[in-house]
Amino acid sequence: MRIGLDVGGTHTDAVLMDGNAVVARTKTTTSEDVASGIETALSVVLEEQDPKAVSLLTIGTTQFTNAVIERKHLSRVAVVRACLPAGRGLKPRADWPADLASVTDGGNYVIHGGHLYDGRTLADLDEREIEQVIEALRGSAPDSVVISTAFSPMQQDYEDALAARFSAALPQVHVCTSHYMGGLGLIERENAAILNASLLNFAQRVVTALVRSSQHFGLVCPVYVSQNDGTLIDLNKVSAFPALTFASGPTNSIRGAWALTGLSDAIVIDVGGTTSDIGVLKNGFPRQSNLVIDVGGVRTNFRMPDVLAMGLGGGSLIGGDGDQCGPQSVARELKNKAVCFGGDVLTLTDVAVSQGRMEIARATINDPAPQAVCDRVDALVVERLSAAVDLMKPGGATLPVILVGGGAPLIPGEKLAGCPVIRPINADVANAIGASIAQVSGEAEGLFVVGAQTRDEALKALTVEAERLAVVAGADPKSVVPINIEEVDIPYMATETTRIRVTVVGDLAQKEPPSR
Amino acid sequence: MKIFASDIDDLALGAVFLATGGGGDPYLPTLITRQTLAETGGVTLIDPSALKDDDFIVPVGGVGAPTVSLELLPSIDEASKVLDAYERLMGRSITAVASFEIGGGNSLIPLMAAAVRGIPVVDGDGMGRAFPEAQMMSYAIAGVRPTPALAMDYAGNTAIFETSDTSTYEYHIRAYAAAAGGMVTVAEHPMSGTQIRRSVIPNTVSFSLALGRLLREERGPIDDLLAPLKDLFADSVYGSVHKVFSGKVSGKRTRTVGGYDIGSLSLEDVNDPNRICSITIKNEYLVAMIDQQPLVMVPDLIVIVDSETSTPINAERLHYGQRVAVLAVGAPAFYQSEAAVIATEPRCFGIDLDYVPLEQLIPY
Repeated sequence: MRIGLDVGGTHTDAVLMDGNAVVARTKTTTSEDVASGIETALSVVLEEQDPKAVSLLTIGTTQFTNAVIERKHLSRVAVVRACLPAGRGLKPRADWPADLASVTDGGNYVIHGGHLYDGRTLADLDEREIEQVIEALRGSAPDSVVISTAFSPMQQDYEDALAARFSAALPQVHVCTSHYMGGLGLIERENAAILNASLLNFAQRVVTALVRSSQHFGLVCPVYVSQNDGTLIDLNKVSAFPALTFASGPTNSIRGAWALTGLSDAIVIDVGGTTSDIGVLKNGFPRQSNLVIDVGGVRTNFRMPDVLAMGLGGGSLIGGDGDQCGPQSVARELKNKAVCFGGDVLTLTDVAVSQGRMEIARATINDPAPQAVCDRVDALVVERLSAAVDLMKPGGATLPVILVGGGAPLIPGEKLAGCPVIRPINADVANAIGASIAQVSGEAEGLFVVGAQTRDEALKALTVEAERLAVVAGADPKSVVPINIEEVDIPYMATETTRIRVTVVGDLAQKEPPSR
Repeated sequence: MKIFASDIDDLALGAVFLATGGGGDPYLPTLITRQTLAETGGVTLIDPSALKDDDFIVPVGGVGAPTVSLELLPSIDEASKVLDAYERLMGRSITAVASFEIGGGNSLIPLMAAAVRGIPVVDGDGMGRAFPEAQMMSYAIAGVRPTPALAMDYAGNTAIFETSDTSTYEYHIRAYAAAAGGMVTVAEHPMSGTQIRRSVIPNTVSFSLALGRLLREERGPIDDLLAPLKDLFADSVYGSVHKVFSGKVSGKRTRTVGGYDIGSLSLEDVNDPNRICSITIKNEYLVAMIDQQPLVMVPDLIVIVDSETSTPINAERLHYGQRVAVLAVGAPAFYQSEAAVIATEPRCFGIDLDYVPLEQLIPY
């Protein structure tokens, strides 16, 4: 058996799974300290279970995203960018929101170094400059140092050389190189590396707390955390790359919809208190966005699920006799303000209660909204969601629409944009179920130069490497399959060149304890 | 008129609209121009008609592959250093700088250079939009020689060009850009006040700013914005603006060939999935057609905007499923002349179509 946990901004959900079956489940409130909410959830699902029968604990958490958004728990990061003599006068964190730049500020340094697009040296590293930066950092003592150099995704040697120098000179400081954070786009890649580095100390505390909580309940199984693409990473990797969990909220809902229905291609709508998040399942994984991703006001190159957020949820305000619904929401104050709880604000929850789609245990008013208003709101909700589904669905395809999240019953009807609506059981804990999917991934990326080798040879070599990495991450070698091959032309190379990225996934290799 | 740091976001937004799908991502140029104008207190825009006959005007901008700048970052003092070197070469001082093109990042580089030097920028440019090649510039079409030209790379290395004609110049400067890290800053097409008055597309900088401001302040569905847009364009060097299609992006194929992004785009009518609008791309949107019938073609402007926000979207940012509207804008009068049409019509891009002006294609 395994436990899936999802720590969201409002709720902490947990499920105990036996294969695909939900054995126990709970939905609790996320506590201020996070840990006690996790422990409450674990105590419910483990109530009648031997903790030794649990073979895996997997956690999806929005703690790291929220830390960036709320500017909490962040530590000081120095940035050493090697790109001079290009980029004169352009500083790291140049267009960051002032508060975030200030809490993460461990100094910005721009020095000579880097490569050009054709592989030549942009400028040699300057030993004297490096010494000066090291001297300055000895004085200012940041928590970590991010190193970024021009064209490092294509040539890593300067970043690696600088990392070795800084690690040796400043042994107490975390040193992070930007090429681990992805592809071309120095500013975006560097920003991603800074955000990640600013979370390293907090990540250590979160990991320690998770281990402590699991031990507290006598769990002896390994603990994994779900990452942006919907697969799992171990706690060592979370400690080094906490930013890889930034999108785990929407990712786990979409993956949960897959686990609940077995449909590998579908539209998924996660209906919450304030928004409905619409994503797309492709081959059982969330479709990725190609756009520049904004995290806490900063441009980054993180690869995140393509999600369209609409201001439509349980707390959405109803106005104009039913011809307005949202985006304003009573949010967390639903239980004080909504008519069905005796308040004076008409919300989408009230409409769903009146229409008999939702039963709320502690509601005091059974029929909070007039029929005519309800009918208009229902029509409006269907119209708006249909337009959004239309926007997200590929081509003219008819795909099933899976409704998940606590607010799923708010949505009326059996069709959206001509697509059949599916309402699986346990949809309200889809995110915890999504977190419990025990798969890990491996990814390999390389440049393929036409003429030097065939495309098939290049693909094969990358697939072998990706498979090796998946097995290192814990995959059962027999279960590893490729799920995505991405090819991007490199526009300015003399010979036709393509960047190929191969992603494979496999089931986490684990020994189920003997059943009794 | 003066342009301040606080105007730059609007100006850049207007420039993305006028870039007709090309021009590159204006993010980095916006960042450094805003920073420069904040430090220098802004830059003066001068109307072409206010220039004296013997003034010395030099257009300045970037030449190369815009995507290189994602790693080979631009420098704040690059453009003003090019002007310094150009003055030494020519032995005279520059009265004002001008833009190659109003589309994308090249609309901002002259502002930065002029602000550092404390000289004005001409309110106008050499395209009224973005085009992929130098011989399509209004300066070249009006007979202004591109050389002497001076190009500087990221490290301050310079090269001086003196060629017999524009196409030789274009070939040589491209080769130098490729050898010098992929992107260089260039001063070229030196002109007198008399010359620029007859070769510039006038008032496009102030227009781009007004356009960007309108798009920001009135941000909303394109059907609401169309009327104010028509009013704004009515009072400009451009022809009238029309919505010629609305639909959803249903396909996009582009490949990089010979330093250009070449390909096509298909849009599906929201109400009738069988009605497909296809758009040919060479860096910019060139021709929009339905069933082999052209809706609008180069040199008239094709602009794609998000149908909900009316934000212009350049070709590299368009993605599958986006709901968009296709707008067509009549080219400035300069580009309706025979010489300009010969230099910029669909055949110049290998498309076998005779140019038909927008007003003849729009049904009334």
